[in-house]
Amino acid sequence: MIPYILLQIVLMPAVAALIIISTRYITGRKAGFIAGGTLIYTTALLLIAANRIYHGEIISEEYPVAQMLNFNLFADGLSIAIAVIMNLCCVVLAFYSIHYVDHRIEVIYGDVDERTWRMYYTRFFFLFPFFATGFMGIAFSTNLLAMYFFMELLTIIPLYFIMAQFGYSDFIERYKVALMCLFWGVAGATVFLLGMLLAYTHTGSFEIVSLSALSGDPVVTWVILLMLIGLFSKLAIFPLHVWMPWVHAEHPTCIAGLLAVYANIAVYVMVRVLILPLYDDFKVFSIPIMVLALITMVYGSLLAMAQNDVKRFAACSTISQISYSVIGVAALTVWSIEGGLFFFLCHIMGKAMLFSTAGMLVYMTGVRDIRKMGGLAAKMPITAVLWTMGAMSLSGLPPFSTFAAEWIMFTGIFMYGTHGPSIVLVIAILAITAVGLTIAYTFWSIKRIFFGPMSPELANNDKIRDPPVLMWLPILILGTISIIIGLYPKFILDLFHLVLGGI
Amino acid sequence: MILVPVEVAWLCFLFPFAGALLSPVLARIHPRLRDYGALFFSFLGALCSVMFIPYLFHLDNLPLESAFVWLTVPIELNVGVLVDPLSIVMANVVAVISFVIMIYSLGYMKGDPCLTRWWMWMNLFIGSMLLLVLSNNLLFLFVGWKMVGLCSWGLIGFYYKDERKYWIGGPPPTKYTVPSHCGLKAMVVTSMGDVLMLGGILIMYSYAGTLNILELYETSSVWLPEMAKSSGLILLMIVMLLLGPIGKSAQFPLHEWLPEAMAGPGPVSALIHAATMVKSGVYMVARLLPIFFYGYWVSGCGEAIYFFIIVAWVGVITAFVAATQGMTALELKKALAFSTVSQIGYMFLALGVAGLTISSLEGGYTSGIYHLFNHALFKACLFLCAGSVIHTAHSIYMNDMGSIKKFMPFTWIFMLIAALSLMGVPPFPGFWSKDAILASTLATHYFLLFSLALITVVITAFYTTRFFGMTFHGRASENIEKLKQKGAHLGEVHITMVVACGALAVIIVICGLIGLPLEHFLGHAFEHTMEYLHLPIVHAEHATPLWVVPLMSVVSVVIGFVPAYLLYFSGKLDPKSIVENSSLLKMLHKFFWNRWYIDSFYFMFFVGGMTKLYTAAPKFEDILDKVFHQMIPSIPKRLSDLVKYLRTETGVLGFNLLYILIFYIFVLLLILWVVW
Repeated sequence: MIPYILLQIVLMPAVAALIIISTRYITGRKAGFIAGGTLIYTTALLLIAANRIYHGEIISEEYPVAQMLNFNLFADGLSIAIAVIMNLCCVVLAFYSIHYVDHRIEVIYGDVDERTWRMYYTRFFFLFPFFATGFMGIAFSTNLLAMYFFMELLTIIPLYFIMAQFGYSDFIERYKVALMCLFWGVAGATVFLLGMLLAYTHTGSFEIVSLSALSGDPVVTWVILLMLIGLFSKLAIFPLHVWMPWVHAEHPTCIAGLLAVYANIAVYVMVRVLILPLYDDFKVFSIPIMVLALITMVYGSLLAMAQNDVKRFAACSTISQISYSVIGVAALTVWSIEGGLFFFLCHIMGKAMLFSTAGMLVYMTGVRDIRKMGGLAAKMPITAVLWTMGAMSLSGLPPFSTFAAEWIMFTGIFMYGTHGPSIVLVIAILAITAVGLTIAYTFWSIKRIFFGPMSPELANNDKIRDPPVLMWLPILILGTISIIIGLYPKFILDLFHLVLGGI
Repeated sequence: MILVPVEVAWLCFLFPFAGALLSPVLARIHPRLRDYGALFFSFLGALCSVMFIPYLFHLDNLPLESAFVWLTVPIELNVGVLVDPLSIVMANVVAVISFVIMIYSLGYMKGDPCLTRWWMWMNLFIGSMLLLVLSNNLLFLFVGWKMVGLCSWGLIGFYYKDERKYWIGGPPPTKYTVPSHCGLKAMVVTSMGDVLMLGGILIMYSYAGTLNILELYETSSVWLPEMAKSSGLILLMIVMLLLGPIGKSAQFPLHEWLPEAMAGPGPVSALIHAATMVKSGVYMVARLLPIFFYGYWVSGCGEAIYFFIIVAWVGVITAFVAATQGMTALELKKALAFSTVSQIGYMFLALGVAGLTISSLEGGYTSGIYHLFNHALFKACLFLCAGSVIHTAHSIYMNDMGSIKKFMPFTWIFMLIAALSLMGVPPFPGFWSKDAILASTLATHYFLLFSLALITVVITAFYTTRFFGMTFHGRASENIEKLKQKGAHLGEVHITMVVACGALAVIIVICGLIGLPLEHFLGHAFEHTMEYLHLPIVHAEHATPLWVVPLMSVVSVVIGFVPAYLLYFSGKLDPKSIVENSSLLKMLHKFFWNRWYIDSFYFMFFVGGMTKLYTAAPKFEDILDKVFHQMIPSIPKRLSDLVKYLRTETGVLGFNLLYILIFYIFVLLLILWVVW
């Protein structure tokens, strides 16, 4: 039995971050491996915990702080499955970042001396592990204040500082967009906090389980509404999506995949905080949320089609894709909720692949404009394969796990549609048609970037080739894991069902 | 006779999948090992499929299933293989023809720098197609369905660099199309049908509670009447379910992707876009057919008949429309592609009429699948021969060929055999199955369906004679003369290509000679399935003598053949001047050449519409951006300016006291609201 397993999972990345910053001039280039190694360790702990939970155990650890605040950690089938995949994305992107950050420092800060270089390099890997701490904290928190704390931690430490210091564009633009991201994050969390406080005035507790006491109370509608607005701004649901293209465009691509996790994790919060304790009260929001999600799916796809910037393209795709999990969760059937959450996990894997590959393209060609690309498959075959894998994953093509997720999710939505109001059936048909739009824009992007003749500039550039193995191998491994989960989704779905089966 | 265990069916698709995965590994050892390794794995797949043929002689053992638990929650699904007469026929058509085409590829693709990718896609396709036809449940059938679509995309756009020599379309003013665009078009058009088909499957699941094919059959007497209680739901489900097959099998109105799919290498056109993948829609219709037949004729669900009405009409309209387009095509492979679309239309027609009357089930079903079997053989042979001819003539256009017979005598005879079969000349296989389709259609007394089908026979004979004549007979084109002068090799191509075409031609001849017994054999096998499924089998009583339909069919062939012979074989008439001198013919020619303007309309409506939509989206986004990132953030500053203005301009103590009072009232109200 491993002691404090959940605490270790949450805190170890932060500890690694502190070690990296305190030994920054000694560790230097090893910082990436320290961060990656620590995350591998926590992934191993997560798998051990997942195995225990799969066999019927529930892991709970108590860490009280004050009367109404505690950092108690709780892992059940739902949280552990989410945590494993999120952590896995962190591991992959940590290793991907090892080369990538080197490149960003060179682009932003130029040819600096070794000491300055080490300072910048280790600064990135000091900030990076806080992603894992934030994600794990949200997944395992039992207390709303603790969950809020971890949401804000993510917004402020890794997101703001990494984007501000390692993002794209010039200094002013970078900080401006980082500030924009911060404001949106804080604004969303504040509205969520208002909902929490309103709930507290009626329950006298910040514990998530105590929210069920609100069921049937007229105030519950306002609590759900406030929390939903807060979560929608994180989920980039239309019209609260306007921050996403900016932020994704200026982010260093090595963490852009984690930004998708940051946004999409709100779906988990929605299920954990609103649907599980307040299922009956949530029903009134079901159809309006589905309509909003449908609009976002289509609108995000159209925006993606219109993009010429390879990074903005992926950002708009994220807007569209997150709504898939939202529409699934909002349909409130056991199939659609499990499918929606499963889709969240598959999407973050697919998006990490696509964004990271976009990063490879920018890294090797120095070009972001898709119109200036074309024919790159000849010089970058591995990158082309990875982008295609990402496109397939987002399009829900087998054998990627997204296919299984979409199938289960849409089963639930159609089940609701055929046995419920007719409008839901219309929404279901339109939503499944929107999958066709995803296929259109992702495969079109393959054609535009990798097929056709190459421009003379790219053709004459001998430096264009596939990136170093340490960049593409982690992404290939992530793609392979997505395929394995697609071929055998039983493990994750069984874990989900332990918690959600009762719905 | 020893029957193989059902578990062997797994190997049918696992071997090709293994071949796809191992190709890059084998390539690292030796290129030749990679090539023969790929061939070997497809051979193993074919061998496993052939091993199931004895079951067709022991029908009492069928159907068989082998499955394992894939999911238990939230949906219970046992994944496995289903072996029944339909899947055995389909698996053998796919696996055997695939293997022959893989042999052909050895020669056709020789020297290509991307052979590893080629073998991977080909074996992945074979495995996926076999998964599709052998799956025991609709979900994994759909998995195979999507994967063959993906392989089709990868193989149509195989020459992804879009070099000039791989363009199709033209000659100017008709626009050219590049392979990567063609692949994308195929992917997008078929995917739209696919996702809606998935929706149809899910509507079915929401009432049936199972995706297992046999369970769906067995329980349809319960769930279909239950579904019928919601008016229009069965019709909605049928339309959605059929959009997948219509897209995949390139049927009207989703047929426009297939002509462009000819941008792929020759073997791809033969394998995927003629013999196998495009038949998956026919297979799907045949799989679903018993559910709706039982639903309408036994359970009395009125809406179930729409399944057959839609299938029959879609089939016959497609057969006619595509055949007319085939009459004017200039590219050899495109002429064959129009022919494929048209012939699949016949298969749809047959399956559609199978449910229009209670007595047409066996005839329609058998003739549809029998035509699928025959068409796979002769169309694969036609495409492979076309590949050889294009290889020799260095051109995709038929007017760049002519008089090639003397250079390629073997290819000529093989293609002749296949062409006669396509036309429906007795005793070639195409004659038997087309005759059976016409007979089944006539038996339903839907005379308009029958008339259109018969007119299409005339047109088929015309375009077949035309492309064959333009290619092998008549005068040698300028292109051929130039090649001769240059001293280019004008003759038979690689030995593996000739052998593959020859093998298919021999099989066609044999199948033709045993055509009638073969049709009865298949009919007996399918009848067994229908009995197993408790479908009512009523044998049709023919209103006309049995010789009438074959005679009409043969006469139709002659009507189509004679003018085409005069125009394109003998050279006695000049087709160009005839068209030029008749305004009606000129107009018709233009209409057919432009593919009834359907493609242009789609381009304008869908591509143009979508382009307008996605170019409007960023403009709308700019407005939202201004609202959220300029107007709303400016509110605090504006308020602050207002307060500053009030304070600085008045400077009266009373105003300041008033502000304090307002603030206290606000706080008080807030506290009261929270407490209450």
